[in-house]
Amino acid sequence: MPRRDDLKTIMVLGSGPIKIGQAAEFDFSGSQAVQALREDGYEVILVNSNPATIQNDPEMADKIYIEPLIPDTVRRILEIERPCALLAGMGGQTALNIASELAHDGSLERLGVELIGSDLDAIDKAEDRELFNQVCESIGLPISEAIACNSMEEVIAAADEIGSWPILIRPAFTLGGLGGGTAWDLGQLVEIATLGLRNSRISQVLIEESILGWQELEYEVMRDGADNATIVCTMENIDPMGVHTGESTVVAPLQSFSDADHQVLRDQALSLIRELNIKGGCNVQFAFNQFTGEIRVIEVNPRVSRSSALASKATGYPIARMAAKIAVGYTLDELPNPITGEGTTAAFEPTLDYCVVKIPRWPFDKFRTADRTLGTSMKSTGEVMAIGRNFEEAFLKAWASLEQGCAHPRPLTRADESEGDGMAERALTELPDSTLVEWCRVATDRRMGALIEAFRRGWSVEKVHEITRITRWFLYRFENIAQTERSITDTHATPTELTREQLKHWKSLGFSDAHIADALSGFPASGPKSLQPGFDEDAVMKRRHNLGLHPRFRMVDSCAAEFAAKTPYYYSTYEIDDEVGIDALPNLEERTKERLVTVGSGPIRIGQGIEFDYGCVHAVKAIRAAGKDAVLINNNPETVSTDFDTSDRLYFEPLTLEYVTEVLLREQAHGILLQFGGQTAINLALPLDERLPMLEHLGLNMSIMGTSCDAVDEASDRERFEAFAKRIGLQMPRGATGTSSDDVRAAVEQIGFPVLIRPSYVLGGRGMEILANQQQVDAYLREAYLAPDKPLLVDEYLGHATEIDVDAAADGSEVLIGAIMEHLEEAGIHSGDSTCFIPAQNIPDSMLQRIAEQTKAIGLGLNIKGCYNIQFAIQGDQLYTLEVNPRSSRTVPFVAKATGLPMARIAANITIGIPLADQTIPQRTSGQVCVKAPVFPFIKLRGLDPAPGPEMKSTGEVYGSDVSADVAYLKARIATEVPVATEGGAYLTVRNDDKTKLVPIAQDLVELGFTIYATPGTCDVLRANDVPATVAYRIADKNHPDALDLMREGKVSFIVNVPTISGGAVRDGNMMRRLAVELNIPFVTTLRGASMEVAAMKAAKRGPLEPRRLTVHY
Amino acid sequence: MGVRFRPKLMSEVNLGSGSFCPGGNRRGVETPPSFFDAADHLAQGTLLPSGASGPGVLLTADGGRYTGTLFGAQQHGEGELVFTTGMMGYQESLTDPSFAGQVLTFTYPLIGNYGVHEGASESGAVWPRGVVVRHAMKQPDHRFSIGTVDELLRSHGVPGIENIDTRSITRRVRELGTVLCVFGPEDDEALLKARLQNLTSPELEDLVEEVSIDAPVVLNPGALDDLNRPLPRLGALDCGIKYNILRNLCEHFEVVWCPPSTSFEILTESYNIDALFCSNGPGDPAHPGKATMARNTLAAAVRAKMPVMGICLGHQLMGLASGLQTYKMRYGHRGANQPVVDLVHGTVAITSQNHGFAVADPDAGMLAAHPSGACSPPGENTLGAEVKVRYVNANDRTVEGLDIVGHPSFTVQFHPEACPGPHDAAPLFKRFRDIVDEHLGGGR
Repeated sequence: MPRRDDLKTIMVLGSGPIKIGQAAEFDFSGSQAVQALREDGYEVILVNSNPATIQNDPEMADKIYIEPLIPDTVRRILEIERPCALLAGMGGQTALNIASELAHDGSLERLGVELIGSDLDAIDKAEDRELFNQVCESIGLPISEAIACNSMEEVIAAADEIGSWPILIRPAFTLGGLGGGTAWDLGQLVEIATLGLRNSRISQVLIEESILGWQELEYEVMRDGADNATIVCTMENIDPMGVHTGESTVVAPLQSFSDADHQVLRDQALSLIRELNIKGGCNVQFAFNQFTGEIRVIEVNPRVSRSSALASKATGYPIARMAAKIAVGYTLDELPNPITGEGTTAAFEPTLDYCVVKIPRWPFDKFRTADRTLGTSMKSTGEVMAIGRNFEEAFLKAWASLEQGCAHPRPLTRADESEGDGMAERALTELPDSTLVEWCRVATDRRMGALIEAFRRGWSVEKVHEITRITRWFLYRFENIAQTERSITDTHATPTELTREQLKHWKSLGFSDAHIADALSGFPASGPKSLQPGFDEDAVMKRRHNLGLHPRFRMVDSCAAEFAAKTPYYYSTYEIDDEVGIDALPNLEERTKERLVTVGSGPIRIGQGIEFDYGCVHAVKAIRAAGKDAVLINNNPETVSTDFDTSDRLYFEPLTLEYVTEVLLREQAHGILLQFGGQTAINLALPLDERLPMLEHLGLNMSIMGTSCDAVDEASDRERFEAFAKRIGLQMPRGATGTSSDDVRAAVEQIGFPVLIRPSYVLGGRGMEILANQQQVDAYLREAYLAPDKPLLVDEYLGHATEIDVDAAADGSEVLIGAIMEHLEEAGIHSGDSTCFIPAQNIPDSMLQRIAEQTKAIGLGLNIKGCYNIQFAIQGDQLYTLEVNPRSSRTVPFVAKATGLPMARIAANITIGIPLADQTIPQRTSGQVCVKAPVFPFIKLRGLDPAPGPEMKSTGEVYGSDVSADVAYLKARIATEVPVATEGGAYLTVRNDDKTKLVPIAQDLVELGFTIYATPGTCDVLRANDVPATVAYRIADKNHPDALDLMREGKVSFIVNVPTISGGAVRDGNMMRRLAVELNIPFVTTLRGASMEVAAMKAAKRGPLEPRRLTVHY
Repeated sequence: MGVRFRPKLMSEVNLGSGSFCPGGNRRGVETPPSFFDAADHLAQGTLLPSGASGPGVLLTADGGRYTGTLFGAQQHGEGELVFTTGMMGYQESLTDPSFAGQVLTFTYPLIGNYGVHEGASESGAVWPRGVVVRHAMKQPDHRFSIGTVDELLRSHGVPGIENIDTRSITRRVRELGTVLCVFGPEDDEALLKARLQNLTSPELEDLVEEVSIDAPVVLNPGALDDLNRPLPRLGALDCGIKYNILRNLCEHFEVVWCPPSTSFEILTESYNIDALFCSNGPGDPAHPGKATMARNTLAAAVRAKMPVMGICLGHQLMGLASGLQTYKMRYGHRGANQPVVDLVHGTVAITSQNHGFAVADPDAGMLAAHPSGACSPPGENTLGAEVKVRYVNANDRTVEGLDIVGHPSFTVQFHPEACPGPHDAAPLFKRFRDIVDEHLGGGR
């Protein structure tokens, strides 16, 4: 069947903000779907609340709404636009839930909108546990014994019926398994099920037999309207059942399964997608008992998913694109496989001639207090993927891609227990065996490293299997890594003595130059960076280059080279005696185009999210538009940047110096762009600059494009930047650097409390805290790791200052300011966690003028060539420069959507040599207020204080726009998915010096009809100002009712809780905020935030929100 | 070392009393014969000859040279270099008689992950004359594993070479077509070179003769259906039949497993068959040896209006008998992911395939042909009926199946019995049984 002609306009729903369980994969799939639909001539309307995505860039869809992704808003947009069809399968669970609700309440029928892709019946059958189990039973598929429960009584009865512990709890209709878990006793059961019932949209949880320890695997299936169905990819989790698949280290294709095993599972996956009548992509999860061959069907996602993004990148098969085409009527055999061109069609099962490993990226490096245990709900923010010709190679490349700690596994010591940099002396003590057993047994982010460590210590595969239940096949591979490491150490050779055979063997197993150097030196406790010249990474690289050993680049072509592939999507591997190298670049010598390499931003993590992928995609587009060859390196399978047709050539590689170097050599690149991939990319600037002279003899003659390395260093190095600031007359908070405890104490004394303290070269404010007294300084220093190359920075803390973010681009002679953004929260709260406004709302013009002048002075003074971001603070009439980031920033996409200035593209153009004067800069949008608000992962991460502070905690952001600031803010707030209260009770607790400022807020709340609850002190102040208030005891008073009682009783619908300025956990506030998170009660932690929230409440009462179409064009 | 590869004959394979017993546990069958399975040596713990090791070299007729590491039997490997893209099912492929005469390259780099299993072989021997892999895995892990790929090869005297850049080989074969090759110890390189120069295509040998049984045998004598009625009797011409075809056939028929040279008269007069099947097999379908004898039997059966089904070589023989030409493909279809379009229903099935020859399309001609241009001479239609293309490959549109117009007969190029590969086409065995039932008296 060819495309349907009866559809003209199609609405596509995105997935909203990046959050744990729902990351950039839906930007990727949505973008691919929108492109697929538009190339077929359909008009596409896209709705997404996330300003940082590529999919809602003005040129992507015909009409764009950056509006809250909630049923009311989507219904209203449907009323306005009256599209023929709604495609919900590209926006994750968020979009599916909205579509389901709009279908069930009759809205779609009333408005004549057809749900395309999988229909409502399919969605219901796949999502409702009871219906799903009935479907499985009807076609004879084995399912785990499971009982759907809608109340706690039913839960307990169900547990009795199953009769054996542990018991698995899975909520229905949630994302990332939120609220699920494994209970070993009745207490845990009640605790987990309570949360599960609350989080499920239909208040339903499933109580199941435990199949802990079984193998877990996934099948990605495609099906069209003519009932053709194929398996795109099979994936095997290394972690056995019990760990959410999004939290598992995953390998593709299946490794430890025979063809007979696979075909049974394949048949079951196909019969399931047929019975559910899914049209498009779907993902089936199985559990498999490797000792008996028993199978259980775990679940089905009737939509594209994180796994399908992984499957797409692992095989080259564009699942979302094909799913979109199927939704408009095509059959698989009518669709050419775009990877291979006309040779093959989408009715095809990709075959791999490599091994793929995915490892999740967890935020525990930032959230040291969070519970690291991995279970049935997700905690990771992103993931990396790597490709190799064997498991070891793929695994070690994936490890290097994580950018978490060291880029290769090292022997574990006591320092690893205390996370991250730890304490230097602990690094000398080996991790105790007893701890190692626990690290192997309990799934955490440390488990894979623990497995290798176990084999370093000579533990047997049988022993480790007993502890972990991990399939032996993988354990043999980890054992091989450990044994190879040992054999490297045992050579007792210097890098110059290594033979070609030795190096070739180690490289083919994925050992990086740095790993080999570290192993040759016996993994010194002082770390791989302490290796002496002649014994370090560079020395191994030189030896390797002298021996002529370079990786070969192989193509990801979906067909194991059976057909000639068109799409240049590569990975590196060390192959045997292949002097010419197949999959060579066609006619590299004859290529006349300049080849420019853009370095991506790696896994999505806190502090470095999808915004940087957005920047990379724009850079690549700018390079291609300028008629040059755009080459991209990245390792994140979820992103648009790693889509097969985003760049001219894509390299799926770790973003370390070694892998980037080899790509540069292979491409004989003319230049590299490091401004767009966040801190990951910019961190490569200096080391790469140092390395370039060593590569000249290999014919590499290139430069780092845009802002010079020296300027990057000047902006990042504290002392140099202070000197620069002094030179051009900028005011900075007083600060000092300390490399020892005494230095730090002296600095604190000199500056005076409170101080802002942080390690240098930080990403997302890791380890940054505000310290108010000597005890806190002592505590911080006990935890901190100080070394000459790792100083601590101590800054004057600017109280009650307004923070400003500026994004700008400079070309050496001219500066373009994208936007001056005002933060709602005071300086001291990480800019990534702030709510910010374009245009600034409360800053006098004269101050804006000064900001603009200083921005220009900085851009020209540092000789920035490209984009940069500055954080200023305004205290009274003083303007302080806090920091300058000589790269694309988190706010660049927000600025683009709010002002119409595509800053990333403008900057990329400058970087590749097109000055501002030669660019067509679009007209700036005016007449609206745009708000960016953060989205926090508090519900997913227990043990984390849910209060914004100097350390970044948000995973993503949303956007709201309107002609008035309060409505724009209200939209953004609604889009965060935390409700905006309009009635009920408000609980107020603030610091003493803020109490009088609270009065007008409280008055407004009373006018809005709220009952005010407050602690005795606050009550006194309020009553003295004629504000009626009810006393609630402080939690510490141990008297009732306290705030927690009121919250549990449902009497509180809004909380103002301004904590003391220190980041140290204040127990009362923490407990209250934690409970608020779990009960989904909105709370604000600043007075300005409270005022804005009250303004939003008023706006909400004024009437329904009217969606606004994005009117930006560029 | 240094001994050149000597093809084995099916008659040398110990056929009696092995673990393959397709007639076992079937209603009405009392004394089903059993046959040797290629993994039986490992299951029985037979002492294995020591294996090859050390540096090896693989040379191709077009001048390619690859170095690697030897494993498997201490033999030289030689034959036509082909590749299969299946990611699993190496044991089934290694024991598939259609690979006789060939050196088999696996594109998936990790071969042997789950070991060798009892009862998972497709014949009693390993048929390729050499095996090329990236990594021959030495530590298999699976509940059924009884040994490694290396051990399986050693137990059947088949050499292997690993640490070869198999993608490079695949690309060479894809671009230049299948080529002849030899491999062995690096020290023997001069010897290997000389051998390669004198090497003739295995297709000139009567490969079907090598791989097929010598005398007819009834697999499930007395087999009954659920209602205790005797199953229709089927003659299964063995041109290199895979065990899983026999298993599938035994579900529906009382099966006479017979040599390819069995004439139609013997089948009807001595065995009183109700239907005829012709299997897959190695080599050129136009070879004048046993393949041609099988072709004649097929044609006679069609002329007699008997229901006939053919798979792979059986399909090609039917094509030749219908007057269509067969030709050598550039590199054939070998793998578990070949999409086939059913032109009648418009649906696509993902199929298992292993063939290097194809039937020319009556309209489009010889698609995806080998650069050598090798093809059969134009022939007569000896069927007394027209054929119609029923299935085509969704990728290269080559012929994947024929319906014999007005006759209860059809053939397919792909493998409905899978092993390895998907089960999408499995219903075709049932379809054939339905055709037979209808033919025998209108829907028993």
